[in-house]
Amino acid sequence: MSTLIVIDQPPYGGWAGREALDMAFSLAAFDQPVSLLFCGAGVNWLRKGQEPGTVRQKSVEKNLAAAPIFGVEALLADSDDCNRYGLEPGHLLDSVTLVRTDPQLFAGYSHTAFAG
Amino acid sequence: MTEIKTLHILNKSPEHPRFTRCLTVAGPEDTVLLIENGVLGLVAASASASGKLLALDADLAARGVGNQSGTVETVDYDAMVELTTRAQQVISW
Amino acid sequence: MQDSSPFSFTIVITGAPYSSQAPQSALNFAEAAIKAGHRVDRVFLYGDGVHLASALASPPSDEPHWPREWSAFLEKHCIAGVACIASALRRGLVDEGEQKRYELSASNLLTPFIIAGLGEWVEGRMASSRTVYFHGSD
Repeated sequence: MSTLIVIDQPPYGGWAGREALDMAFSLAAFDQPVSLLFCGAGVNWLRKGQEPGTVRQKSVEKNLAAAPIFGVEALLADSDDCNRYGLEPGHLLDSVTLVRTDPQLFAGYSHTAFAG
Repeated sequence: MTEIKTLHILNKSPEHPRFTRCLTVAGPEDTVLLIENGVLGLVAASASASGKLLALDADLAARGVGNQSGTVETVDYDAMVELTTRAQQVISW
Repeated sequence: MQDSSPFSFTIVITGAPYSSQAPQSALNFAEAAIKAGHRVDRVFLYGDGVHLASALASPPSDEPHWPREWSAFLEKHCIAGVACIASALRRGLVDEGEQKRYELSASNLLTPFIIAGLGEWVEGRMASSRTVYFHGSD
């Protein structure tokens, strides 16, 4: 029984993405298998070199980099959406796996949830 | 009672990116239930849903959206509960 | 017979009252579940959904009071209503304990809601046969 938490909203302009991360980290803390899927504008969470100090917010880059250590099984990103936002593999955080968001992907998880 | 693989509860209007995403991900053994603003996408969803398509009657009536094509089955909250029990998984979009 | 055996539900609400339909759709769903003989284990408010637990919401008298309707439903059926602490504190929803802890001028958590961590959500989804989410539609 593995859970997929989906983030499809961009960083810093809203809180839903952060709240989705908290959900994933909570599941991991309780030893529940969990992966994160970034799709749509949500792929922008994965861009290297974010400096949100300019908008007085905390960077999530470090949190995401630490996700595997905290027990999050995978950071998945929709490859078409990465292309759409000009995110080439070199721009992405290291631990990201590119995937296609299709029925087969979702079939691999027993639960799928959004934060809002 | 037939089993549903995944019940997709879709409450977004067809303008919302999640509307299209939901219909892309829903497979032939799945059921898509349109609720709230989702019922506004009845026509769009009828054309592209590969599985079964349902719409919540209260939300259709509230918005004055008749089931003109007659192709979509409407359900009430009792039936919505039953659908969640028949589905192996429920995803709210 | 699968369709006659009772199920248990955890209901998660992430949309706020009066900015989304989520709390009312969720209430209709929860009422229908109880009517069908199923159990609702708990209701978890997350993100903007925590506004449903505000004791200070004062909609015009000719509009439904969704926080009070939810509160009455939870009390009637002895269902736990839990607002996520991180979501709640950020949005100005506090109980007496948090009021003291942060030396705030007031508390505003509606009975019988309680404030607790995401662990309640994790536990709910493990204990219940189904977890159903009600999001805003923006």
